[in-house]
Amino acid sequence: MSAFIDARTVPDGTVLEPDLAIVGGGPAGISIALALANTPLRVVLLESGGMSFDPATQALYNGNKTGVKYLGLEASRMRFLGGSTNIWGGWSRPMDKIDFEERAWMPHSGWPFGLEALAPHYARAQTLCEAGPWLYEKAEHWSQSEMPTVPLGTGGVATRWFQFSKMRGSLLPTHFGERYADDLKKVRNLTTYLHANVTRLGLAPNGGKIEKLDIATLNGRHFSLKPKAVILAAGAVEIARLMLASNDVMPQGVGNANDVVGRYFADHPIPRDIGTVILFDGKLEPYYLTTQTMHGAILRAGLFPSEAYRRSKAMLDSSITIESKTLLDVLGKSTVATTAAALGVDASKAAAFTLGGGCEVTPDPDCRITLDSERDALGVPRVKLAMKLADSDLAHFRATLKELGRQLLASRAGMIRLNMKERGQWLTGLDWGNHHMGTARASIDPKKGVVDANLQVHGVANLFVVGSAVYPTYGAVNPTLSIVAMALRLADHVKGLLK
Amino acid sequence: MKTLFSRRNLLMGAAGIAVVAGVGFEASRVLRKRYAPSPYDDLLAKLDDRDGSAQIGEAVLAEVEDFDAKTVAAGLRAKLAQASLADIAAADAAAERLVEAHGWVLPQSVGLLCALAAKAAA
Repeated sequence: MSAFIDARTVPDGTVLEPDLAIVGGGPAGISIALALANTPLRVVLLESGGMSFDPATQALYNGNKTGVKYLGLEASRMRFLGGSTNIWGGWSRPMDKIDFEERAWMPHSGWPFGLEALAPHYARAQTLCEAGPWLYEKAEHWSQSEMPTVPLGTGGVATRWFQFSKMRGSLLPTHFGERYADDLKKVRNLTTYLHANVTRLGLAPNGGKIEKLDIATLNGRHFSLKPKAVILAAGAVEIARLMLASNDVMPQGVGNANDVVGRYFADHPIPRDIGTVILFDGKLEPYYLTTQTMHGAILRAGLFPSEAYRRSKAMLDSSITIESKTLLDVLGKSTVATTAAALGVDASKAAAFTLGGGCEVTPDPDCRITLDSERDALGVPRVKLAMKLADSDLAHFRATLKELGRQLLASRAGMIRLNMKERGQWLTGLDWGNHHMGTARASIDPKKGVVDANLQVHGVANLFVVGSAVYPTYGAVNPTLSIVAMALRLADHVKGLLK
Repeated sequence: MKTLFSRRNLLMGAAGIAVVAGVGFEASRVLRKRYAPSPYDDLLAKLDDRDGSAQIGEAVLAEVEDFDAKTVAAGLRAKLAQASLADIAAADAAAERLVEAHGWVLPQSVGLLCALAAKAAA
């Protein structure tokens, strides 16, 4: 067993020469490090933080932002081993086939690979996320007698299921750093450096490969790595920052010949109290409202637009959750009574519930990360985020909610009130998923993307990026499970490449 | 042995109940909310709560452009001659014929009936 190395104790000027350097000890970096265990590759995992939260390290994330009100850049991620799994909610669900496709109604859509590329890796990802047996598809076919679902008329919205990560002993969810620290220490071909901040990606003079990584610590130590290959496995903001700030050889930064790095930043908008759903018979199974342990997994039901609906109606993705019981005002009660009576249904036991959820956004090149003039404690430029949110994306979400209401009416089971219409209503109390995505998007075309189908940076032979930074489009489900699956796929690729 | 209910008492009791019932019936008729006659009363009778429906209808009218009450009423009458309101409303939803009122998503037929209630109340 090899203990983690505290980079603050590494002598100045040390040069390490591993086969592979993984930058970032979050779920992607840890998954790759574990996947490469017991291979001939000598792997170094570099984590900026330690084993727990440290304000000075976390402050390296600070940045400025303009545009739509957004989370503090230092607030929605965690800079210590485990990365953002130290604060995630454990929500897990694979992406859909349509998420990877080029869609005529969505500008800039289309991944350079399809769901089939990730599918072989989802099972292992599910295990690493400790999200229980793979039930997603099976759950959609459970019988009404076994797992009753909200009765919906034929249409575009259906009940589908989230599974949740759990840690041993039922603590929820899995914090990758704490959970896998011992496993990482057992990997003989891996050395993990904590408190090691990469401050520069050193390109070869011709810009064709990474020759060197500069490492700095907050106590003033400086050393370097000369790896055969590098995987950037940090979050989408830090990856863009590092690629843009490493501009000593190529003035526009690493992998940024076409000015794509940092663009297309996205997150999932999570507007609160988006609607009220009425169930005329008042019956709602508890797994719609909160997680339930069933079938060996932790499950919660949500309401999702189907792939067929998204295609036929040219809709973006979204997820709708039923949140909590609520009361109606006089007009609401009257509307429910009138509608139920018109439908010939008894609504004397009707119950109302608030709705929440999140939605996909259209990729926008002007929603972007750039470098600021300020620098952090290690001398690296801080970032500026220009955050945007299009009305048309919110309109898609509203249309899907309306479709849910239509289906409830068609089945005479209930109805819906849409609480949001004007932009100001959506933005009031708007929350975000804390899912940073898109700043190093994948595309087969170097003019449209930063990395190719193998997640290799266009034009830089030995540099790879993994994580939600490479998402060209964003779906509406929580990204961690897919990030881990993508990381495992990349591990396989790199294993073949470097053997 | 003296019976508990004599014939005379029974007759008087029955007469009393009849009087109370009659007064009650008349009172409910008198006290029932009356509406000014409108051309749509036959349709509005289908609504569970005419006042509440009128409130909903105000919101529907704000959403529907070029609302022509006579045409709407004629259309609804034609439909109701063929099927029940319940079936028409469910069919509206199935066919994506919907209207909104203060964010409430309603079958078109229900929304239009409410709009007629609002017109009648105006």
